[in-house]
Amino acid sequence: MPFWPLIPAFVLRTCERQQSAASPGRNRAHRLTKANFVRPIALARFAAPLMAGFLLVSSLACAQDGAPGPRPSDQFSFMQLLADKGLHDMENESWNAYGQFTYISSWKSSFSAPYTNLNGSINSLLPTAERSFTGTATLYLGLRLWNGGEAYLVPELISERPLSQLRGLGGAIQNFELQKGGTSTPQIYRSRLFFKQTVGLGGKSLVEESGPLQLATHYDSRRLVFVAGNFSVLDFFDTNAFDVDPRLGFLGLGFLTYAAYDFASDARGYSYGGIAEFHWDDWAVRAGRITPPKQPNQLPVDFRLFKYYGDQMEAEHKHTIRGQDGMARVLVFRNHENMGRFSDAIAAFQADPAENATTCTTFNYGSQNAGAPDLCWARKPNVKKGIGGFAEQTIGRGIGIFGRAMYADGKTEVYAYTSDDRSAAVGVLANGTAWSRPGDDAGIGTNIGWISNVHARYLGMGGVDGFVGDGAITAAAEESFDLFYNANFGKIYWLSGDYQHIAHPGFNAARGPVNIFTVRIHGEF
Amino acid sequence: MASFKSQRRFAYRLLAGLLTLGPLADAQQQPAGFAVERLYQSAPGAGWFVMDDLNITGRLGGAIELTSGYARNPLVITGPDGKQKLAVVKEEAFFNIGAAITYDRFRGYINFPMPLLLSGASGTLAPYQFIAPSVSLGTNPDTISDPRIGVDVRLLGEPGTLLRLGAGAQLYFPSGSRADYVSDARYRAMFRFLAAGDAGAYTYAGQLGVHVRPLNDAPVPGSPNGSEFLYGISGGRKFAGPPGWVVIAGPEIFGETAFHSFFSGETGTEALITGRLEQTNAGRNLRIKLGVGHALQQNFGAAQWRIVFGVELFGHAGSH
Repeated sequence: MPFWPLIPAFVLRTCERQQSAASPGRNRAHRLTKANFVRPIALARFAAPLMAGFLLVSSLACAQDGAPGPRPSDQFSFMQLLADKGLHDMENESWNAYGQFTYISSWKSSFSAPYTNLNGSINSLLPTAERSFTGTATLYLGLRLWNGGEAYLVPELISERPLSQLRGLGGAIQNFELQKGGTSTPQIYRSRLFFKQTVGLGGKSLVEESGPLQLATHYDSRRLVFVAGNFSVLDFFDTNAFDVDPRLGFLGLGFLTYAAYDFASDARGYSYGGIAEFHWDDWAVRAGRITPPKQPNQLPVDFRLFKYYGDQMEAEHKHTIRGQDGMARVLVFRNHENMGRFSDAIAAFQADPAENATTCTTFNYGSQNAGAPDLCWARKPNVKKGIGGFAEQTIGRGIGIFGRAMYADGKTEVYAYTSDDRSAAVGVLANGTAWSRPGDDAGIGTNIGWISNVHARYLGMGGVDGFVGDGAITAAAEESFDLFYNANFGKIYWLSGDYQHIAHPGFNAARGPVNIFTVRIHGEF
Repeated sequence: MASFKSQRRFAYRLLAGLLTLGPLADAQQQPAGFAVERLYQSAPGAGWFVMDDLNITGRLGGAIELTSGYARNPLVITGPDGKQKLAVVKEEAFFNIGAAITYDRFRGYINFPMPLLLSGASGTLAPYQFIAPSVSLGTNPDTISDPRIGVDVRLLGEPGTLLRLGAGAQLYFPSGSRADYVSDARYRAMFRFLAAGDAGAYTYAGQLGVHVRPLNDAPVPGSPNGSEFLYGISGGRKFAGPPGWVVIAGPEIFGETAFHSFFSGETGTEALITGRLEQTNAGRNLRIKLGVGHALQQNFGAAQWRIVFGVELFGHAGSH
């Protein structure tokens, strides 16, 4: 049974908006403060019908920022400690250093499935009970090089064990920290190394607060920003849902950004490339070209940026409705990558059944289904396109609702993010000030993903893509519901409890539903 | 007291074990690789490439450094006949970003080496089959190879004086692949005694240390033989540069030799001719460094020749 109509029954109260981490596009004027968190009961009365209406009529979807948000001054941090001792200027920083660690442990209960990995296909979510975890530790180092010029380096450590080897789910993957190819042996890697230059064009003077991936400074509301190097696309595009640090927000991957946004990135989710932003008061436009992986969902990067690339453009507008801040964005992307079209894979198999999943001579996912087509026989330079919209709105002093949706063409395989061809998500975020727990956060939301008809036909014939493929399919939307509460302790640690209910895992109505319970421990310094 | 003695005995044995793990090594038909880099850089802000000028002073200060280098033939293995040679690692290029925080006479730092290029020739030197690394930014877009954290302390002498003595310790975290010749895949540690001084227009520095290296592939030609002694010395002359700048030029000689092959010729030694241009202001300063060098004794990553370039921002908030 679809669970999303039940969501309006939940009324959450407050939400603290934080600034964008990596881009000065979200300014202080657009931020909620704790002083706003009052009258929770009246707020709840207002929020419930609004949320219900929103969920029933809106197809927009939502997500969180790919980058961390700024650190409030009342929260412990190494930089604040130095500033308190008069050793650091928190208003105009020449450097900063922040860190975080997060441990996420998920438990999936067993579920019913009439078949699993049918006929040698390999991408089913296993129906047995499983445990998954991720552990990450990150250092965020920033340095001001000259006026307007900043450089950032972010080394990170990850250890992980996914459910079913990260197979069997589309955009409903339960933990956004999971990386393709990760192992339980800790790996240290460089997640970001980029340069940012801001050119002021006048307008109002705005404040950028100190935080991970942002040096405290003042900047013009009208400006140009150029970024080059190694980063996550989500540091700059589709940063949203009140810029809550994802490690403090929803755990589901479908809430990180549009699940159908197959942004070019390596297996860890990072890319090389360049981005340009133009900000004009409440308006912003950004465009970027970034590197894809050499093979779908793998780590090696293809630097031939004129041959294979991911292009994206986003327009953004901030607004106020009855004195409440909001934002709307539209994003389009166009990837040109060496990827397979589902129709070509099917045609190749039908023309010659010897060209099946077990006879691949080029990169493939290792399916043992000899009666299935495979994308390995169809890879060539192809284009994937998509368009999406996002909106977020505070609906009273502290509660924030958000929604996002994307439509991609669905003709080609997943190359970097999730198997969704279309996605939609909505949610509510609230801060705990209203119940005298100002460091706490809570959220409730739903994420729905669809695949195209030709994608479903390919999976139905036993084919697999980077994540899904049970060997057969009763095609349906993959739906996930996510509810979390995040409790703060000692201004350094957060303990979260999260519940996710996933219907039709892998877009297959014949399997599931799946229940996943998660605990998260997060610390910042 | 007995308990204390017992603990001390245990500690000595543990240390001895760490330092003399050589005989435990197994012969391998296909060597697994190791961290071939032997340019063990000094801390960010330490002046020289390998030595340390021990000019640690002031209130809160620090340094950010970016170093990049290229080495030619850092691992050339000679066959049993003494004639056949195989350049398993023919080219190596790296990029290293580091940051240090200083306070008074203490320094804490962190470094993130990142390989840009490792390539060479695969081949067989009986009975071992060597597989050359094939690393580029495309294949390893985000590799950090054996990052390190370290602490240094100036024990004796003041900045600018004739003699300064200090000590330092470093811990290397295993990261990256042995097959890529960027990591031992084991924790490593270094302990160094440091000396430095200035006499008029002349400056010098030196070090003696121990590299605690558990990896011991002693039977395999050209492979690590366990823990090593480290040594090095540098000297240079200061020249007046543009106002507020000084130029320091001089050689750095450094190397290492395995404990249990101390007298067997398994020693690598390199010489770098270095020049650095640095600001001498009270606040934030810039230092630009260049080094070109050649192996005096080519072993274990002591490159046939190498070139190193570095940029540092360093300074401190004022006198303590």
